[in-house]
Amino acid sequence: MTFSDDRPTMIEFKDVHKYYGDYHALRGINGTIKAGEFFSLLGPSGCGKTTLLRTIAGFEDISSGVIMIDGKDMAGVAANVRPTNMVFQSYAIFPHMSVEENVGFGLRKDPRSKEEKAKAVAEALEMVGLKGFGKRAAHALSGGQRQRVALARALILKPKVLLLDEPLSALDKKMREHMQVELIKLQRQVGITFILVTHDQEEALVMSDRIAVMFEGEIAQLADPETLYRRPATRKVADFIGTMNFIPAEILSEAGDKVEVNAKGLGHVALDIAQAPEKTGEAPVVGLRPETLTLLYDDQKAPERETDGVIDEVIYFGDMTYYDVYLGGTDVEVRLSMRNVPGRPVLDVGTKVRVAWSPSALVLFR
Amino acid sequence: MKKAPFLRSYTLFYLLFLYSPIILLPIFAFNDSKVVAFPLAGFTLDWFREMLSDQNLRIAAKNSLIIALSVASVSTILGIFAARASVRYRFPGKAPLMGLIMLPLVLPEMIIAMALLVVLLSLNVPLSLFTVIIGQVLITTPFAVAILTSAFQSLDKSLEEASMDLGETAWSTFRLIILPLVMPGIMASFLICFTISFDEFIISNFLGSGQPILSVYIFGQFRFPAKVPSMLALGTVLVCFSIILLGIAEYMRRRGIAKAGGKDSGGFL
Repeated sequence: MTFSDDRPTMIEFKDVHKYYGDYHALRGINGTIKAGEFFSLLGPSGCGKTTLLRTIAGFEDISSGVIMIDGKDMAGVAANVRPTNMVFQSYAIFPHMSVEENVGFGLRKDPRSKEEKAKAVAEALEMVGLKGFGKRAAHALSGGQRQRVALARALILKPKVLLLDEPLSALDKKMREHMQVELIKLQRQVGITFILVTHDQEEALVMSDRIAVMFEGEIAQLADPETLYRRPATRKVADFIGTMNFIPAEILSEAGDKVEVNAKGLGHVALDIAQAPEKTGEAPVVGLRPETLTLLYDDQKAPERETDGVIDEVIYFGDMTYYDVYLGGTDVEVRLSMRNVPGRPVLDVGTKVRVAWSPSALVLFR
Repeated sequence: MKKAPFLRSYTLFYLLFLYSPIILLPIFAFNDSKVVAFPLAGFTLDWFREMLSDQNLRIAAKNSLIIALSVASVSTILGIFAARASVRYRFPGKAPLMGLIMLPLVLPEMIIAMALLVVLLSLNVPLSLFTVIIGQVLITTPFAVAILTSAFQSLDKSLEEASMDLGETAWSTFRLIILPLVMPGIMASFLICFTISFDEFIISNFLGSGQPILSVYIFGQFRFPAKVPSMLALGTVLVCFSIILLGIAEYMRRRGIAKAGGKDSGGFL
């Protein structure tokens, strides 16, 4: 996952702050977004992700700091001259215009001839899979079609950056999953920098080259999806992205690049310093993803470490089963997931089991 | 549902009481008798001929038309500014300011007329159609603001942002996006202000300085029994005129909703 490393910078934030009266909406945003990147701003509602997106578009002024787009300071540059275009959460399709009038709206001042513009509109519609829909009235479209129109309308201007404000949140699950894949394909095809705002961590993981996780006006972690998932920087990030078990732990020693901990129910573990992100001053816990824990059947042997446990809860999902297991006679309960493959029966509550785990899958938050 | 014969007859009586006098207008306008009473004497178009040949009536109608068109235009334009400001912007003193704009809605018209008359006379402003227009704008602007506020409120803010985002300025956004979408509201405001102004009496009487204005003129003519039938003929014309205006307003409203793809939540008709 080194896609973003060698790309030129498209957007740079330098200590960006935004106040609404007394409310501190953005609290010192720093970071870069690379050219051609599919970048996501992920966080719970009210974390400032939409505000940050709107400061890029120029709909919100920043209180202090600098936003650079393609090397130019955007201070005092109005939304209508910025090299960005936006797909709004409500799609903001102009209801009194036809599909092609909507898509061609941004070309009004384009010096090209009428025929060339019409051709550009037709191409944009074809790109988003709406060939032949040009004459339709905007209000006669379905949610998914409206979104495609919004995309075509923004992309026809060939912006340097396309901003997407929760574009999939209004669609049903199936349509959403379909559009996720379409958006990824579209982004590859046009090569434009996409910045997606979403509160759906799964959506961010699926679609993004890199993700900035935001809480309370700050970027908690900016990383590629795999790093974010496997090596979250804080307990809060770990909790927000996917499921993670947190096990109380005690730090025994820290020397060189090794940290030795005693995790309740797991015992002594030696961790690499890379598994222990920066201190935040919280009570130490180790984190373990459900899929890094495995139930051992019959005479299977754990490749690394194993711990005894008792099944407390069984949650059957068809392809998967989730087990909540008490570890090693303690009150520490972890959730683990097993694929339901042939020859692996679903176990009952109360069954005594052996759980295999790997020290390298642990993350230490302290 | 339970049967309620009393409520049914009450409703019938109420509607009859409300509308039968209006139905009497055309009946007696075509009645061949100077006396407004049954039995009917026969069919005639004389009263309409008399009405059309009345020089003063023509002047009064022309004046009323000038006043109503001016009042409707001015208060609708003022209403657009006020409604836009109150819906989209936050500024200190907004609530009391909007309250003051809406106040004439509940203020007795007589008070406004008297106060304006005193002020205009002490400022040595000669009374004319212009002073009537000023007075009526005060009365009709709250109606325009009320209608236009709801029109602006139903406008999604991201439509404006989308237009700006696609390269338009604030002004061209207003022209290309906002104006077409609030146009039904503007039409409704214009027609209602026009109607209110057209039959307004108190201000026309106080500030008109005896200029023939239709409402005042009609009232004056009722002193002469011989003039009553031709006034009824005029009333008939005005009723038809009102129905046509209302029809246009409703048509515009429905077309606006259909254009914007919204759901019809009922209107005047």
